[in-house]
Amino acid sequence: MKPEDFPQLASVQQIEQGFESHGYICSRKIATAVFLAFQLRKPILVEGPPGVGKTELAKTTALLLGTPLIRLQCYEGLDEAKALYEWKYGKQLLYTQVLKEKLGDLLQGAKGLAESVQRLHQFGDIFYSEDFLEPRPLLKAMQQEKGAILLIDEIDKSDYEFESLLLEILSDYQISIPEIGTVKARTTPMVFLTSNNTRDISDALKRRCLHLYIPFPTVGLEERIIRSRVPNVDERLRHQLVEFVHSLRQLDLKKAPAISETIDWARSLLLLHADQLETELVRSTLNVLLKFEEDIQSTEANLGNMVRECRKESASGETG
Amino acid sequence: MQSSLVSFIQVLRSHEVRVSPAETLDAVDVASTLGYTDRALLRDGLAMTLAKTPEEEAIFLQCFDDFFGLDLANYALPSDTTSPGQASDANTEYPTEGTDAAAATATGNDPEPHFETLSKAAEESPALSALMQSSLMHNLLHNDRNAMAMAMGQAAREAGLADMQMFTQKGQFTRRMLDALGEQHIRDAVVELEQSGNPALPLVQRYRDVLREQVRDYVEREYLLHAEGRSRQFMDDILSGVRLNNIEHVYLHKVQELIRKMARKLASRHSPRRRRQKRGQLNMPRTLRRGIANDGVMFDLHWRRARKEKPQILAVCDVSGSVAAYAKFLLLFLYSLQDVLPKVRSFAFSSHLGEVSNYFEDYSVEEAIELINRKYGGATDYGSSLLDFASLAMDDINSNTTVIVLGDARNNHGEPRLDLLQSIYQRSKQLIWLNPESRRSWGSGDSEMLRYQSACHFSAECNNLKQLERIIDQLLKSTR
Repeated sequence: MKPEDFPQLASVQQIEQGFESHGYICSRKIATAVFLAFQLRKPILVEGPPGVGKTELAKTTALLLGTPLIRLQCYEGLDEAKALYEWKYGKQLLYTQVLKEKLGDLLQGAKGLAESVQRLHQFGDIFYSEDFLEPRPLLKAMQQEKGAILLIDEIDKSDYEFESLLLEILSDYQISIPEIGTVKARTTPMVFLTSNNTRDISDALKRRCLHLYIPFPTVGLEERIIRSRVPNVDERLRHQLVEFVHSLRQLDLKKAPAISETIDWARSLLLLHADQLETELVRSTLNVLLKFEEDIQSTEANLGNMVRECRKESASGETG
Repeated sequence: MQSSLVSFIQVLRSHEVRVSPAETLDAVDVASTLGYTDRALLRDGLAMTLAKTPEEEAIFLQCFDDFFGLDLANYALPSDTTSPGQASDANTEYPTEGTDAAAATATGNDPEPHFETLSKAAEESPALSALMQSSLMHNLLHNDRNAMAMAMGQAAREAGLADMQMFTQKGQFTRRMLDALGEQHIRDAVVELEQSGNPALPLVQRYRDVLREQVRDYVEREYLLHAEGRSRQFMDDILSGVRLNNIEHVYLHKVQELIRKMARKLASRHSPRRRRQKRGQLNMPRTLRRGIANDGVMFDLHWRRARKEKPQILAVCDVSGSVAAYAKFLLLFLYSLQDVLPKVRSFAFSSHLGEVSNYFEDYSVEEAIELINRKYGGATDYGSSLLDFASLAMDDINSNTTVIVLGDARNNHGEPRLDLLQSIYQRSKQLIWLNPESRRSWGSGDSEMLRYQSACHFSAECNNLKQLERIIDQLLKSTR
């Protein structure tokens, strides 16, 4: 993708504003990463806990640029037939059956096997040409005329071999197909890889990428995110609920609530017509934030104090 | 600027952030795309290419601040700086640059009155007048920060500061720097003024102290930047060769870090291999059967799936006083290898034995080891411990199981129950006995090691990190 075609990405500030207009509030660092990835044509490896908006970043970039988003969800056992390309075996077979009769015409007058084979050679590898190629996400991204956003989601779930498979694509934006040759990207796609850090990504892959770590947001940033996503929540409640979620993240939980959970919770509180946090209200909606029974139990013991703390802070915040 | 970027990368490397030449090129690209005007932007951008994990990013940020924050002494405060590189960079962080500079000049020494006092004193003292002639004193008096910064850099080169290796060398290098700067003149003047009881003495002494302090700070910073990594490397080398129970308590956390590092190394060496072996072969019968529907054309290949073996490791550790320290490191090592090793079950014993695997699920490795030591520590009885182990885990031992026993085999003259160990030996894929005692003392006194050894596939002496690493390396090879 050429920089001049996409004025939306001309500077870090513009990216920030552009994302904001599409409802994605991001830190300066994220915008810088997108800017650099675009200018230097490098993939971004996005890491961070689940639910902080890694996938959303790619989606929003696609929205902002108005280019198609091609997504490849990784899982154990993912191989090139599912990620790169596959031959259309059915079609090949069908064509061979249909063309069988033609064979007689072609070979008419040929003397001996050697001559017949000679004649057949003249036709080349018709069954292994682009017409019989079924593109999978990676190849599809290379074939897009106007560029695309390629999202390789949860790369840590795939096998080591698959990582090596990606290296050629990520550094040269090309794919080698033995039967055809090398397919170069028509327009360099912009690539996002996401990882939840369930295992270490190989150095070779990391080296080719910009490394972006998205942590849980700060209170201020998260409030802005809630304001943009759930605009109807009033300011006091918003502050209290974000404070509460932040205090939850300080605890030793199996799974700390992420931004997506905060948004869900804000929506639920809105539905319940809450105007500020009450202990009972929090207790009954805690399952929106915490996904493990142990987490809920360990939190409930101290719920009253935590809620009081958040209310106090927001009160002092208002007067100060 | 590029050269200072490269030397920054050197600093990162000495702090164990691995940066390849290709990444250096990337960093140069990033810097030229982002420009050098916005410090925070440049920092974030460089972090993305140079730091590859959150830990490395933390190191990176620290180094970045140390390196580019070098405003050389407080001489080199902003103003009309013409010196290239770091100093001008450092300023961009502070948007209030102008006011800073103004404040600095306001509070800075006004040279004139001092100059007059000193000139007057110099008339009586030849050493002081010589000092007044020197460029060093001139710069000091006029608080010429840029000139001082340059002189400091020059002196550092002359003193060979970049070769500093150990923290013990700091004093020596400080002295060399001072000599290179020409502090000799100041000292001479002080001596002479002292003898003549000149009132200008305290003033000169103050300048001397300021200078010394700045040089010391400078050396300290340089040490942190360049030499700290080197001396840490040195420390690691020593630690991995020391007997594990002789390691001082203060170094324990370092050893743990070291173990994690070794584990990571082993993990990356062994993980791809396991995957490759999982690949199957062509399953001819099924491929033929599938081909029937297509007129016998076998384009739809079916692969024989690799039988998914579940190798299993059982670690049995003596946690009595004499061996506890080693058990700790073995367990730490095994659990740091979670990514590549198959499921590890661990057992601890001294007088009796119990499974402790769930401690490692509920607590961090260090905490778990503390708890286990408290619960199972005591006088050793191998016989009853083996009996416990047999009743707990014997049914799970099969030809995919590797059993690692760590203990000194000192049974306090009790019944050794060799028969139990033999049956484990027969059932398991391999039984490894690690003994922290040296091979020579095996079998001496109440040690049953020679008898136990007969029922092991492999027994080894294991009392420092290097041996431990080698054994676990072998283990990883054989469990695949």
